[in-house]
Amino acid sequence: MSCSLDEYVPNPDRYDECKTKRGQIRDAWMPLANHLAALEASGMDGRAVRIEQLLQENGATFNVESEVGRQTRPWQLGAVPLLFDSESWGVLEEGLRQRTRVLEAVLEDLLGPRRLISGRIVPAELLLANPLFQRSYHGLPSTGGIRIHISATDVARANDGSWWVTADRTRAPSGLGYLLENRIITSRVYPHLIRRCNVRRMAGFFETLRNHLRSLATRVRDNPRIALLTPGHNSYRAFEDAYLARYLGFTLVQGRDLAVRGGRLNVKTLGGLLPIEVLWRHISDRKCDPLELEPGATEGVTGLLRSVRQDQVAVTNSIGSVIAQMPALLPFLPGAAKFLLGETLTLPNAATYWCGGDRERRYVFEHLDELLIRPAFAVTGTAATVPAELTRSAREELVAAIRANPENYVAQARIVHSTTPVWSGGRWNPWHVSLRTFQLQTPDRVEVLPGGLARAHPHESVLGAPPTGGQMTIDCWVSSSQPVDSEATLLPPPDAKIAIRRSGDELPSRVAEHLFWLGRYAERCEGIARLLRTTLVRLAGEDDWSVLPEVPRLIASLAAVGQIEPDYAIDGLGGSMPTLDQVLPASVFSADQPRGLQASIRSMMNNAMAVRDRISLDAYRILRNVSVELETLHEGPLSEVDAGRILDRLNRLITDLLAFAGLSSESTTRTHGWRFLELGRRIERADQTSEILAAMFAPPARDERRLCEALLGATDSLMTYRSRYLSLVRAEPTIDLVVTDETNPRSIRYQLEQIHALLAPLPSVTNEVGLGMDEKIAESLLHRVRLSDPDTLGQVDERGVRQRLHELLQTMIDELPKLSHAISARYLIHTGTTQDLTGVTEPPPRKPT
Amino acid sequence: MDYRISHRTHYRYSQPVAICQNQLRMQPRSRPGLACRRSEVTVTPTPESFEVHDDYFGNRVHSFAIESLHQELTVTVRSEVTVSVIPRDAAAEETPWESVVKQVRRRESEAALRAREFCFDSPRVNRGAPFATYAAESFRSGRGIVDAITDLTKRIHDEFRYDSAATHVHTPTDQAFEMRAGVCQDFAHIQIACLRSLGLAARYVSGYLRTIPPEGRPRLVGADESHAWLSVYGGDELGWIDCDPTNACLTKTDHIPVSIGRDYGDVSPMRGVVIGGGQTNLKVNVDVEPVAAAAADSA
Repeated sequence: MSCSLDEYVPNPDRYDECKTKRGQIRDAWMPLANHLAALEASGMDGRAVRIEQLLQENGATFNVESEVGRQTRPWQLGAVPLLFDSESWGVLEEGLRQRTRVLEAVLEDLLGPRRLISGRIVPAELLLANPLFQRSYHGLPSTGGIRIHISATDVARANDGSWWVTADRTRAPSGLGYLLENRIITSRVYPHLIRRCNVRRMAGFFETLRNHLRSLATRVRDNPRIALLTPGHNSYRAFEDAYLARYLGFTLVQGRDLAVRGGRLNVKTLGGLLPIEVLWRHISDRKCDPLELEPGATEGVTGLLRSVRQDQVAVTNSIGSVIAQMPALLPFLPGAAKFLLGETLTLPNAATYWCGGDRERRYVFEHLDELLIRPAFAVTGTAATVPAELTRSAREELVAAIRANPENYVAQARIVHSTTPVWSGGRWNPWHVSLRTFQLQTPDRVEVLPGGLARAHPHESVLGAPPTGGQMTIDCWVSSSQPVDSEATLLPPPDAKIAIRRSGDELPSRVAEHLFWLGRYAERCEGIARLLRTTLVRLAGEDDWSVLPEVPRLIASLAAVGQIEPDYAIDGLGGSMPTLDQVLPASVFSADQPRGLQASIRSMMNNAMAVRDRISLDAYRILRNVSVELETLHEGPLSEVDAGRILDRLNRLITDLLAFAGLSSESTTRTHGWRFLELGRRIERADQTSEILAAMFAPPARDERRLCEALLGATDSLMTYRSRYLSLVRAEPTIDLVVTDETNPRSIRYQLEQIHALLAPLPSVTNEVGLGMDEKIAESLLHRVRLSDPDTLGQVDERGVRQRLHELLQTMIDELPKLSHAISARYLIHTGTTQDLTGVTEPPPRKPT
Repeated sequence: MDYRISHRTHYRYSQPVAICQNQLRMQPRSRPGLACRRSEVTVTPTPESFEVHDDYFGNRVHSFAIESLHQELTVTVRSEVTVSVIPRDAAAEETPWESVVKQVRRRESEAALRAREFCFDSPRVNRGAPFATYAAESFRSGRGIVDAITDLTKRIHDEFRYDSAATHVHTPTDQAFEMRAGVCQDFAHIQIACLRSLGLAARYVSGYLRTIPPEGRPRLVGADESHAWLSVYGGDELGWIDCDPTNACLTKTDHIPVSIGRDYGDVSPMRGVVIGGGQTNLKVNVDVEPVAAAAADSA
């Protein structure tokens, strides 16, 4: 069994990218074919697995849901690339250049003089009946003389090998981040082959993109701040926006990070407002400004349009560019190209009919079964309607709907797609392919990205649907006739430790908030896992755990940190205790407890995803491991999962979390971002230790030796203890080590010393005199612990209570959440709630005369 | 007819507002039938920035932002305008309404092309069969356009109940139509929906209405209000015809237009986003003073 491309049998009814009609392998594919001929079939499978692994690790998913745990399927990446020779690519490239210029000219006209409409080249309805056409777009200035800076075009190849355009994307095309990552992965899988094929590099395109966006800054030319505006970390764009921002070195922002003041656009940071010169927006046009466009939209920022009108900020693509991608425009583009530029459109459109025209509508009704029906104005997330597949009544409804509002529909001929070899099921199969190309328009020229994002599917019709369904993507290689210079990549080597980085020296408040909570949740996971381990070891041990004195206290601790219901702690050794060996393992997998391990892992991942551009790939890989560590065990019934296996997993989990902590302590520069991550971690650790200590220790027990050992185990201090006191286990030295010893990185005092030191260098937004509330709380807690003496804390009074210890711990448990709130209030919340006054000034009713 | 108009909008907030960003559409602009002789906008506290531009429909827009803490905001617009009647060609008034529909559909002139804008659905007005059916009674085949419009305007006045409790600013037009009730905004939207459903071009007009005090009583200063009506494209010769379903009439010199748009959404007099503010208390005073009368008094 081999994986030679000789075995590949194309679909005889379609153009094939790899083989000619006579079955010969095309020239561009020869180096790949030679490479594959030398491989066993298992080698091909190995490559597919490796690609899958790389994708998983980088966490590239379309549509990452906010609930981790429900990880959606990563998009797949084909095991072999799609190859084009430079000659045939050149033809497509030239066509795409022209098309971009034509779309620019059309948009410029439609949002301005409208000669196309008065000259009857384009029907007026395309604008006037178009619900996407917000009237505020009209007359807005372009950005540096250009409206469509970055655009994409979906193309398919007909049976004669010619290219046809099926759709344009002029608003904020998605896919650049994915194809970039595809290329990085394939070049790791085929390091030599990619050189032998003389594949044109993509880094040049991105370099031009970065330089072009920089050149748009009108006010600050020297190192202007460029921000990438993403819809939010729950959007399908989250991954690629984070990826692009990191690759290009832009600041990733969301609407709530932005504010327009004095007509200028700013990012809200810990240190106050910092101006943004260039905004690359990946949000809808109509959501850019709730004041002048869609009221209540939170993805954009109030006042942006005004800022654009006054030329205070450069927005790409220009607001209103969504108009150029409406499907209804396709049939009128050849006429528009003639009228505006005197040129013949070289790259043809897929046959498209706008139903608002009388003749076109008649044609559509006569040929309904051969056509697809789409909305005329909006690019929607749903597939086109296929009249031939409709029931009789549904078909009649469709016809009635078109008759009622014909201008709202277009019909398109079914699109033919070429095929390319895809390795699946241990053999080569001809899958249909659709290509999305990317263009960058600068004042001098249109640059076409060499290659593009190809999607493949065994069923041709599926390619008409939007690319969010976890489909197969393929890396496209355009081979050059000359050897390709090794250009520098913009990306740091994939193994470099990047960790939390600064874009300039500012940190958006929102990012600081996510880092703070990432630190808290990571620490909470580690603390709970350690406590679970300490407990499960005893349940799985040789002794009868029901007589062990520390078990009820450990249970109380687990309840105190929120891992199990408090009832288990209250009942003590009574009724419910015998079920403990079922309850506890189950709690490891259950997300029911809002502060439990599973819920904390999810919250940790949600915060990590929200700042994906700020944490290193290594760190992200580690966190991803954490999130799946406990998933796979849960397939069978729980009763079959023994404590031993759970312990293994908990050990791995703790190791991962330690690795993450190690990365942030050893591989992260001490920026404000790092400070917030650390603050979160320190507050959480102080809080957890206080809770555990209070539950374990405040009421003294008869045999405290075992309690001390359990406590030292749960707080990772057993080794230190043994080195100091050997096997003499007493309460006072234990309390010293866990509470007052400033040299133990696990002690409460150590956490408070750190918090105190971390707060000092943070910038003050308000100019208040003296200490902030957060500093006051931190000072007073630290003071309290510094003045505490372990012997006094260990004293048991006449009622049998460690009153001093109890009071100290209770203060910690009460005050630490207040400290957390004070930090949020001072640094992380910059804005109050906004309200919309529009409509409040309703003209009061007028009495009839 | 000359007027002196004062429109004062006053907001009081229960909590301080950190930042407000606003847009006004309150200043009349000269257009056929209306000459705006003077107009000034005053905002207190003084905004950090103030910008003026004309929107897509030709309305004058004032944008401003106040970026310091404030608990009150007052916007006053004072204008002096002259409203005149544009004489209509009596023969053109007889134009069958269907031929106006055709002119607009075929975009036979520059004006008809511009009117086409107002034939389609807009955010607050959707065309539909019920509207067309309702309007058909007034728009019998071959009837003169002005006659048909006047009839429909009167029917809406007669068959709809004026009830300020029945609707609010966001009530959909369909719903007000079903209830056969509402206020001037609803009636204007309903009549626009009827006309567009027939293929005619109709636009929304916001402005003021002169109030004539009852016999022997003095005019009450500051007791006037904003008003809304609509305008129908009657073909090239007639141009735009304004009609007021709330008062069952075609407009003459008592109506003073300020802004036009596809529906209320395009002309809302004040848009704003504030940060903070808590409860908002709004007070509006409008005074529409016929100047000829005032001048006569002082003479």
